Amino acid sequence: MPKVDSHSIRIPASTEELSRVREFIADFAGQFGFTVQQTHEIQMAVDEACTNVIKHAYNYDETREIELSISYTSSNLIIKIVDQGKSFDPAVYTTPDLEERIKKRQRGGFGIYLMRSFMDEVEYSNEKGYNELRMMRKI
Amino acid sequence: MNFKVDERYNSVVLKLKGNVMGGPDAAKFSQELKRLIDEGKKNVVADLSSVKFMNSSGLGILISGLTTMRNAGGDMKICGATDRVESLLMVTKLITVFDNYKTQDEAVKAFEQK
Repeated sequence: MPKVDSHSIRIPASTEELSRVREFIADFAGQFGFTVQQTHEIQMAVDEACTNVIKHAYNYDETREIELSISYTSSNLIIKIVDQGKSFDPAVYTTPDLEERIKKRQRGGFGIYLMRSFMDEVEYSNEKGYNELRMMRKI
Repeated sequence: MNFKVDERYNSVVLKLKGNVMGGPDAAKFSQELKRLIDEGKKNVVADLSSVKFMNSSGLGILISGLTTMRNAGGDMKICGATDRVESLLMVTKLITVFDNYKTQDEAVKAFEQK
């Protein structure tokens, strides 16, 4: 088994907390040899994931919490985001149609697309009321 | 996010600053564009050189702004995108939708040549 080290934080479900999330990611991602640009991409993916939880799982209820953990092996950085809100079925997600979005002035829909673009794996599971988004980026 | 409005010949530059992340910022930006349209100013440049962080909601502000201006018979060009913002525009392919310039002067000049 490869050695796994892990760090975690819990944050209230508020967009005000996202800067703290980005700092948490930057602190650890930078240590594993990711470039500044790669670290920024990982921050983006995590920011989008947390934003989705705040908006859709918890409907901006700041009394709820998000648990964020970051772990790594010799070859992978793994980030898990756990919430207990409304679950989301990633199967309903479709790749944004740019022309259509611009025509209809639709603002949203890029979050999951960005997560999938910036991370090597994105998996979602729901068990016993806990939603877990697991994202992996190769080192 | 804050933005500074600077009227140039033939166009208006909106210089965005800080974190562009949707929320109340989206409404503020949209209201400003509508005010400009009401005044007959339909050529807008969004200067992104002082944007610290942008997420997908921030991209939504730009998309919405572009549509607002084009529907009014105008346009919104962007300039000064940092590497971080440019990578977002690339990965979402929005780079193909916006007229993107390195500097504010180039973007403004592009309106003059229209």
